[in-house]
Amino acid sequence: MIYQQLINGLMLGASYALVAIGYTLIFGVLNLLYFAHGEVFMVGAFVGLFLVLHAGLGIYGALLGAMIACAALGVLSVFVAIRPVPKDRPLAPLISTIGLTIVLQNLAVYFIGGQQLAFPETIRQTLYQLGPVTVSSTQLFILGVALSLMVLLWLFIERTKIGRGIRAVAENHETAALLGVNVNRIVLITFIIGSGIAGIAGVLDGLKNSSISPFMGLGAAVKGLIVMLLGGLGNVPGAMVAGLMLGMIEILSSAYIGTTERDLFSFLILILILLFRPTGLFGTRTAEQR
Amino acid sequence: MFAGLIDNYTQQVLIFTGINVIAAFSFFAPFKTGQVSLGQAGFMAIGAYASAVFTQKFGLPFAVSLPLAALLAGVIGVVVGFPALRIKGIYLLLLTLGFGEIVSVIALSWDYIGGAQGYRNIPFNPRTLGYVLGVVVVLTLFFGRLERSSLGRAMDSIHQDETAAEVMGIDVVRIKLLAFGLGAAIAGLAGALYAHQATYIDSTTFNIMMGVEILTFVVVGGGSTYWGPVVGAVVLSLLPEFLRTLREWLELVPVSATNYFPMNRIYDFLHEFLDFENAKRLIVYGLILMLMMIVRPDGLITRDTLRRLTFARWKTRHA
Amino acid sequence: MPETCLAIESLSKRFGGFYAVNDLSMDVARGHIHALIGPNGAGKTTFFNLITGVLGADRGRIVFEGETVADARPSRRTLRGMARTFQNIRLFPHLTVLETVMIGEHCRSFPSMWQALGSAVLQRPFGEAREETKMRENALALLGFFGLAEKYDAKAGDLAYGDQRRLEMARALATQPRLLLLDEPAAGMNPQETHALDALIMRIRDRGVTIILVEHDMRLVMGISDRITVLNFGTKIAEGTPAEIQENPAVIEAYLGEDVTL
Repeated sequence: MIYQQLINGLMLGASYALVAIGYTLIFGVLNLLYFAHGEVFMVGAFVGLFLVLHAGLGIYGALLGAMIACAALGVLSVFVAIRPVPKDRPLAPLISTIGLTIVLQNLAVYFIGGQQLAFPETIRQTLYQLGPVTVSSTQLFILGVALSLMVLLWLFIERTKIGRGIRAVAENHETAALLGVNVNRIVLITFIIGSGIAGIAGVLDGLKNSSISPFMGLGAAVKGLIVMLLGGLGNVPGAMVAGLMLGMIEILSSAYIGTTERDLFSFLILILILLFRPTGLFGTRTAEQR
Repeated sequence: MFAGLIDNYTQQVLIFTGINVIAAFSFFAPFKTGQVSLGQAGFMAIGAYASAVFTQKFGLPFAVSLPLAALLAGVIGVVVGFPALRIKGIYLLLLTLGFGEIVSVIALSWDYIGGAQGYRNIPFNPRTLGYVLGVVVVLTLFFGRLERSSLGRAMDSIHQDETAAEVMGIDVVRIKLLAFGLGAAIAGLAGALYAHQATYIDSTTFNIMMGVEILTFVVVGGGSTYWGPVVGAVVLSLLPEFLRTLREWLELVPVSATNYFPMNRIYDFLHEFLDFENAKRLIVYGLILMLMMIVRPDGLITRDTLRRLTFARWKTRHA
Repeated sequence: MPETCLAIESLSKRFGGFYAVNDLSMDVARGHIHALIGPNGAGKTTFFNLITGVLGADRGRIVFEGETVADARPSRRTLRGMARTFQNIRLFPHLTVLETVMIGEHCRSFPSMWQALGSAVLQRPFGEAREETKMRENALALLGFFGLAEKYDAKAGDLAYGDQRRLEMARALATQPRLLLLDEPAAGMNPQETHALDALIMRIRDRGVTIILVEHDMRLVMGISDRITVLNFGTKIAEGTPAEIQENPAVIEAYLGEDVTL
């Protein structure tokens, strides 16, 4: 029984992790809370749904389409909500992203209505028996995509030149620029990666829950923020591990304590980390609150 | 109360706007010392639920439950304010956000105050408009005085450089706690007023988006002076009304002028766009926020704006 | 009335494995201008931070005007009568010059926050509170002393560098200190400005304020100090009058390699 919960926990956690990655990447390079990221996640889900229902694409097409659409949305965000806003007033960029959040969420409501929409099953349903656990193909698929995405990203950040550029910019803009890194381009790339991953996460979430809603962004945002903090601001691998952890903690606590309390638990964790270990479980990787 | 003078719809608008002004002040108080709180909606919830319990379950008159609820919110504010003392920037944002969410979850699971069903049948207060206006006036006067006082200056200094202020003898800890508790109490007032007007509240009424909206009132209005929250809350609250009026003016355009392309398309688009369904209104709201941060990131009213408006009076005082 | 304004006993502060201030003991006589010099990184600013309470000491005692000082909060120490300026100027960027000095006066006009709140709320409806007028007049007088009176309305962040340094001193002086800690007040100044600073510091001393001065400009230090303590790597290596310090071989050696003429 507990193994079943562990699988559920991993799935939930993977979802949290994928969203948190975007938050932490962007915070790392810009010291900005990119509030609209949750809505990017939501847009990905809807794009995926649209592609499945109206373009007849399979799940892979949906995932790819959502990733591209959200990456494009990320680029748009940078040019419309980030670059034009002066950074020396600390709250201005935040408000700008809040405005973007409101726009995106209500665009969705406007075009689709305030209801949940069903996400069709796009994977042939088979059950596998792995030892004491029964997993469905959908679950395996979701976990597989999520985990490979995380591994790929980790390799990208640690091993490639651009990845090093991202880490350099997260450390210090001036130093990175002196080392020949094009800071603006890195920021853009960060947004592209973060948003693209969020898009994929949205589709995966739709697949997992068999439904999506225009309001799914806000919940994902809050959990994503908690995970970002838990893993350490700017720390991408930290966010991955923290996401999986939080997912498991939530599922286990809801199984043994109760479902409304499970959110309470997560917020308490947030408070505790903030008070006692604000650098997160794994340390921050960004120029500390400049 | 004003039933004879103002129609019901206008009353609603005024009450709603007034409550937003009060909420904006609740953000402004801690902000003046540099504390950015996304959790004021949580304190509104505390004020709302507490006042509802006081009037509905304890039978107290509204005039008593209002200040009591505010006091409760204020005390909780001071308690939350302690850990907030040594936390800044995004960490404080997350702490206050988390606090707001915790309040929501408690509201959801505590059956005494309604739980998932929410709190129904809160006694309606027919004099809400009077109360709201009264509170708005008192708060405006208070913050105006604060701004011109040494304490207000001390708060600004904490906002601008907390360590330097501390070293100059400013009692940073007490002042920050005062500001935070005050903000919480004011939010409690707003929540209580809301509860006795809407007569129904639940855990989703005072959610993150409301906390975020309150922040935007002040940032858009201008966070450096006490008129900022007022102007910001009024403008953003009345924006839907304003856009609706625009639409009505649009409808006055003679039909013949819009029969041909592209005028007819433009007309249709604008007419459709200014239609006040929630989603569209909010899209415009969001766009305006983004635009404001590009063209006027300091907000609508800044210290300089105030100076220019009151130049003559100020100059004579300092000559 | 105690002769010694400030007595430091075995003060120590560690950061990780390294001692920023190591077993430092010294006495500052009342009414003196006491300089603290030493190569960069010798622990001088840390020392100021320890005295004012910005940092907590690991060991040792601070005795100010005969009383042991253990307040955790810097604002309490300022109330006792210690004030300071900062090495890299820390003004309030958006306050005017006048407002900046009035901040310094706040803790004396309103020792209790509730008094300040009361004054804010209960002031007369038009015109300003009595305390406010008095504070403003005192602030303007102080600004006059520092030659900043005409610039009272300028934003602190807009001032020229030299003016900013003097504003910091004015602000510190507004707290009515008996001990003033000046952290590299001559940094970035040209010779004329330094000479004017020289006279200014002496005039501050003549108002009855004991001064501890951290400085690299040796001409200034040797010119106005009554006593000098030399630090290197957090440890005191010499102490005495300017003449004694100039002859001291340990001091000369510590400064070898630094571009300084004693």
